[in-house]
Amino acid sequence: MKKLSLFLALIALTAGLNAAPAKAVNAPKAAPKAAPKAAKKSDTKKSEARQSEFYDRIQIPTPVGEVCEVSSIALMPGKKVAIGTRRGDVWIAEGAYDDDLSKIKWTKFAASLHEPLGMFWKDGSIFATNRPELTRLTDTNGDGKADRFDSICSKWGINGDYHEYAFGSEPDRNGDVWVVLCLTGSFHAFSPWRGWCVRVTPEGKMIPTTSGIRSPGGIGANEKGDMFYTDNQGVWNGSSSLKWLRPGSFQGNPTGNKSAALANFPAPPEPASGSRILAERLKFPDFVPPAVILPHGHVGNSPSGIACDMTKGKFGPWENQMLIGEQTASQVQRVNLEVVNGLYQGAVFHFLAGFEAGLIPVRMDQEDGTLFIGGSNRGWGSRGSKPFTFERVRFKGKVPFDMHDISALNDGFEVTFTHPVDAALAADVKNYKMDTFTYIYQASYGSPEVDQTTPTVKSATVSADGLKVRLVIDGLVRGHIHHLVTTVKSQAGDSLWHDEGWYTLNEIPAAK
Amino acid sequence: MRTSSLFALLVSALFAAAAEDGAQVYNTLCVACHGPDGKGLNGLPPLYGSDWPKGLPDRAIKIVLNGMTGPVEVARKAYNIEMPPQGAVLSDEKIAAALSYVREKFAGRAGVVTVDQVKAVRAATSTRVKPWTAEELLADHPFPVGQSLLKNLVGTLYKGEWKEMPDFSKLKPALMEDFNTGIIDPEQSGMKNNYAMIWTAQFEAKQEGKYTFVFDCDDFGALYVGGERIAEIKGIAPVGGRVKEVPVMLKQGSVPVRVEYVQGAGQAVVILGVKGPKDKDFKWVSSAKSSAKTAKPRVSIPIQPKDGVAAIYRNFIGGTSPRAIGIGFPNGMNLAYSADNVAAELLWSGKFMDGGHHWTDRGAGNEPPAGTGVIKVSDEQAILLDVGAPGAVIRYTTEKQGADLKFTGTPVAAEFKGYDLDKLGNPTFKSAGEGFAVSDAWVAEEASGKSTLTRTIKVTGDKAVTVVLARGPAVTGPSDGLTDVGGLLQIRWLNGVAPRANDAGKSLTVTLKPGESAVLAYNLR
Repeated sequence: MKKLSLFLALIALTAGLNAAPAKAVNAPKAAPKAAPKAAKKSDTKKSEARQSEFYDRIQIPTPVGEVCEVSSIALMPGKKVAIGTRRGDVWIAEGAYDDDLSKIKWTKFAASLHEPLGMFWKDGSIFATNRPELTRLTDTNGDGKADRFDSICSKWGINGDYHEYAFGSEPDRNGDVWVVLCLTGSFHAFSPWRGWCVRVTPEGKMIPTTSGIRSPGGIGANEKGDMFYTDNQGVWNGSSSLKWLRPGSFQGNPTGNKSAALANFPAPPEPASGSRILAERLKFPDFVPPAVILPHGHVGNSPSGIACDMTKGKFGPWENQMLIGEQTASQVQRVNLEVVNGLYQGAVFHFLAGFEAGLIPVRMDQEDGTLFIGGSNRGWGSRGSKPFTFERVRFKGKVPFDMHDISALNDGFEVTFTHPVDAALAADVKNYKMDTFTYIYQASYGSPEVDQTTPTVKSATVSADGLKVRLVIDGLVRGHIHHLVTTVKSQAGDSLWHDEGWYTLNEIPAAK
Repeated sequence: MRTSSLFALLVSALFAAAAEDGAQVYNTLCVACHGPDGKGLNGLPPLYGSDWPKGLPDRAIKIVLNGMTGPVEVARKAYNIEMPPQGAVLSDEKIAAALSYVREKFAGRAGVVTVDQVKAVRAATSTRVKPWTAEELLADHPFPVGQSLLKNLVGTLYKGEWKEMPDFSKLKPALMEDFNTGIIDPEQSGMKNNYAMIWTAQFEAKQEGKYTFVFDCDDFGALYVGGERIAEIKGIAPVGGRVKEVPVMLKQGSVPVRVEYVQGAGQAVVILGVKGPKDKDFKWVSSAKSSAKTAKPRVSIPIQPKDGVAAIYRNFIGGTSPRAIGIGFPNGMNLAYSADNVAAELLWSGKFMDGGHHWTDRGAGNEPPAGTGVIKVSDEQAILLDVGAPGAVIRYTTEKQGADLKFTGTPVAAEFKGYDLDKLGNPTFKSAGEGFAVSDAWVAEEASGKSTLTRTIKVTGDKAVTVVLARGPAVTGPSDGLTDVGGLLQIRWLNGVAPRANDAGKSLTVTLKPGESAVLAYNLR
């Protein structure tokens, strides 16, 4: 009997199954099925080396002798750029777009904001979301320094905990600023409205907008004006993700629920721990699942700022895709989004790498196509080893061969490439590997990957123009992350810049 | 024969495959902070050269399962950083593999950690929710002491109070005890204050050569090696500033060591370490290790007015509320305004603030004013409607309700609206409520060596408003326009509406109708 079971185990092994299922104590009763990882991870070093073919990344000198832990970036008229720092200073640069950055001129506009995490320029003032309030900074006498600091809204609670950060958006079409409020210590809600997204109207009124936030790293809208934020792995977050802030929704973390009563907001869901996001959000219609999960450890460890590429090609062929900063890995990831059955979902790909510090704000100049990025690694580690950085990235004009986007079909996925593919390779199912998994939705910190499956790629059909491949998949799993690795080449014989993507399949679309 | 070899093959195949890849787990999750070489990235704690992963694995397993928070010393450097818990992320197998990898690669081959060990610790700590502190972990899992270099350690206790080293030969011991741990620890006295200890022991020099002794203590003490006094710490001061490092040539064999130590009050620390001819690091024979030379010093980043312009610091200032705005005036006076309470709450002299605390690491906690003579003049809403109406502005607050917290929306008269700064950084704080606005301007002046802040409060709109100037410290006056607040502050009425004391000196207020103002001079003693 014993020998028999061992023998079966060996068969399982030779079949490529991982014989060490994740036996976390918090794992659900239904043991996760053993399944393989579809394929090896892409070679990140090789991707980084190729980056300079396509993108020009350069560090912008910050004021000499100043500690500029860049936490905010605002684009101003006349090609000026303002940065806000974690120490609270606001500096304005002239010449940040120039070829010769040695001539850059910095002017200190203000001191003393309290960790500004979100700035923009509007009507002659800089607006900064910082820990205690949304502040409007104005230079009324034209001497280049702010002399008037208006507190637009300071209604949310802060209790002196360093983790009670406030990240603010640029104004939406109504002029409202969306503010996501981190939990106290990222575990608790010891102050009113911690764990909420609120909107601040131009008149300073605070409108509670969503519950369920844990620890945001950035906030920004897509081309339609729908607002998104990044939330970090931790309690109730099996992995970090990009989430859609649908007004009235619950974002998954019930810690801050009790603030609802303060504004007669309907009580947010009290989900069950140890479940799955899909199971709980089907119980609670207000629970909007993460639009795109950024699998922990694979894509990054702590996502931050968000910028939508609306440059009409000036930054490469990524129109309306979301670019997402990453603190730990000092990278920028790329996300394509689509709406299926009323929910956002889509895929994340590795994109830009090699930044000098942990990334925080990401701002795109949509007219010019220059991406500004800043960061600091104080208090949190990062692959980039400088204590702080301010950088810009520009597209050099050569389009990399990459997956442009992944889109869900009723029976599989459609992958669009940036260049026509080698039709023979692309039509061969052996050149695609897919695995799926999800996370436990739980009150504990993070989650192992669970419920792994290995769908089969049944067929691959290349479009006439060679840009699209329709993959018919046997074994799509609603609610799972679908990890695709492909070895197709372009017609010109190029390998992919990045060979993998992770699609969060919240909904399987109906057949067309 | 054949079946058994097949069986062996099966078993080994199973084991090989069942073993999680510790390197992979480490390089996915741990590497971001601890670095590929275990030496720590960007100022985060190393594993290499650290005692934490060594010894029995329970300590390390607990850290991985529940994380760690607060101050910790790693490889003789001080850190204050949080490690996120991984217990819900990683299976027992993965934790065992990652820790085995860490111990093999970075912890001097400290030994494999088994899945069963992880399982046992997980079960034993299943109710633990919070991350561990270094103190908790070391209480349960002290670092391996090894064989102390001191043998026959005997402690002798003397009770009394001394300002300088007494002549111990004339004192009567209160207690004498041997400590076979060979580790010197002031707690062996069993007392907190006003005592002296002498420890005597034999130090075994394994070979002839240069031995370096490092010695430090508070309040004062002396170290004798081979009958000779080689180091003395004089006066009364905490450890750190007076550490002594003394080289001594020793022959192979046993040498007498004697430590004399006098404790007054407060901190009680003795630090003694030895480095032999072949040692790279000190070996400690005291419970306290390292010293100011190795501990990370507090970084000081003084924030001061510059070029005659006031400095401003918006952060968590100890003694006032979270929405604090500190102003350091060039005349040496300082103010902390609470935007939560629309109130000037703290005044002090001298140094303004030190940013070293908030501007390093994550910047947790409050930072008190850096100067002296801090007076807290108020700690509640300072703008009130005279008619007794509660006000029309909702402020969200937190109240303790048993073990729980209750959030409430409380009506108050006014809310913070911001501030203006003039060219010299003098602030005018602005607040408003329904139908009225208050401006509160502060200007630094210096005349014949006397520093003054002139405060002008104005009310506009359609309501009379009472502004609380002081509530809490004893208010004496006003007499001839002069009011003493808490013995530290004088408020002199200069112009406009005069302030008045209320409730037998419990508070000082000024009530202003629309269009009225009050001008006051503030001086600190």
